[in-house]
Amino acid sequence: MTFKEKIDAGQFVWCGEIGPPQSCDGDVIRNKAKYFKGFVDAVNITDNQTAIVRLSSIASARILLDEGVEPIIQVTCRDRNRLAIQSDLLGAAALGITNVLCLTGDYQTFGDNPEARGVFDLDSIQLVAAVAQMNSGFLLSGTEMKKAPEFVIGAAANPFAEPFEMRLIRLYKKIKAGAHFLQTQPVFDLELFSRWMERAVAMGLHEKTAILAGVMPVRSARALLHMKEHVPGVKISDEYIDRMQQASDPKEEGVKMAVEIIEAVRKIPGVRGIHLMPVMWESITPTIIQETRLT
Amino acid sequence: MPKEIVSSCKPPLTARERKISHLLRFFEDLIKVPLFGCQKCGECILSSTGFVCCQRCPKRLRNGPCGGTGQDGSCEVYPERKCVWYRIYFRSSRLRRLSLLYKLNKIHNWNLEGTSAWLNVFKKRIDAPVGLVRNDKQKVKEQIADDL
Ligand code: SF4
Ligand code: SF4
Repeated sequence: MTFKEKIDAGQFVWCGEIGPPQSCDGDVIRNKAKYFKGFVDAVNITDNQTAIVRLSSIASARILLDEGVEPIIQVTCRDRNRLAIQSDLLGAAALGITNVLCLTGDYQTFGDNPEARGVFDLDSIQLVAAVAQMNSGFLLSGTEMKKAPEFVIGAAANPFAEPFEMRLIRLYKKIKAGAHFLQTQPVFDLELFSRWMERAVAMGLHEKTAILAGVMPVRSARALLHMKEHVPGVKISDEYIDRMQQASDPKEEGVKMAVEIIEAVRKIPGVRGIHLMPVMWESITPTIIQETRLT
Repeated sequence: MPKEIVSSCKPPLTARERKISHLLRFFEDLIKVPLFGCQKCGECILSSTGFVCCQRCPKRLRNGPCGGTGQDGSCEVYPERKCVWYRIYFRSSRLRRLSLLYKLNKIHNWNLEGTSAWLNVFKKRIDAPVGLVRNDKQKVKEQIADDL
């Protein structure tokens, strides 16, 4: 079953995530594919994540397809204007890529080219609407296409940033614009996440879209602290930091924590899947999925 | 036909309109720059964003905050500043204009950058400002109920 079929059928879906290399070495992607094949339904490919230049997400996606793994390309609004985005998306569709995740993108000053000009011609919600319009057979200019792409449209949601209510409005707008699935930022605060889901369910939003909870396995307390201090918009309960600091084997503890979080969010009504995003630790994906299957 | 998601640039501004626009801008700037920190986008949505200009966001977002707003409401790019959308939310809440935040704002027409928003409203290039909002809470409920 493809990712789309599973979402349409209302089945529980699993996503992974790959960060392409900072070089033209396609073998990096080829090698990483084995961590996902047969374990997850689709794999996100980041688009110049944290504003650092990396191998193009569309090219990486094609490599993954050849390896038999279904990709989800991330598209950010930071680097491309509406012309480039549309043309890239048409190219992606021609290459057989069907899943798109629409993001605004990290600000350029966070990356390796802080002097760059940020584009931000569209925002993520407008990008969702633009892809939906392309699906309906029209380009943004209103020109009708001879062949329309059939993208599965995704977007991101951050339940953990302030203001809480505004995050629900954003979620509502993304669904209204045409998002088929939503991936959240990594959950490190179960209380806040379930409160957010409760509200989304009360608004009826979980029926219009598939909400996938983000889970990030970490391998050291340092990584967690770094996230807390330097990555904007994440919220981490002190409980998890304490646990990682006291663990004798932080890697094992990291896996244990991820499995626990997965078990907990699976039980929350409205959650339709898990998006596993171990940053630079893709190899752990199969272990975690196997452990959740055991429990 | 596709939905109207782009703010269209047709008909384009004529040379004469640009001249009038330039003149009007002078007066518009006198008010909007000191009061709202107007960035002169020409496609004013101030009245639906709690009278806080959303274009002061470094990413120029028109549909709500990015995912990076801090726990204290700081902007991810300039932490010493408050995220403009954080301010928009709380101001709209105080003014009882939250229902306006549910609107999908169209893709910006960069051709209008630097032109007079007043003239653009008059010429019907952009939507007119939203006046008084009554029964804001009720309107929020209606939005959620029938739009999806
Ligand atoms: S014209 Fe544009 S930049 Fe100026 S106040 Fe209105 S929204 Fe802000
Ligand atoms: S934190 Fe707010 S003001 Fe700063 S870039 Fe994000 S949306 Fe814009």
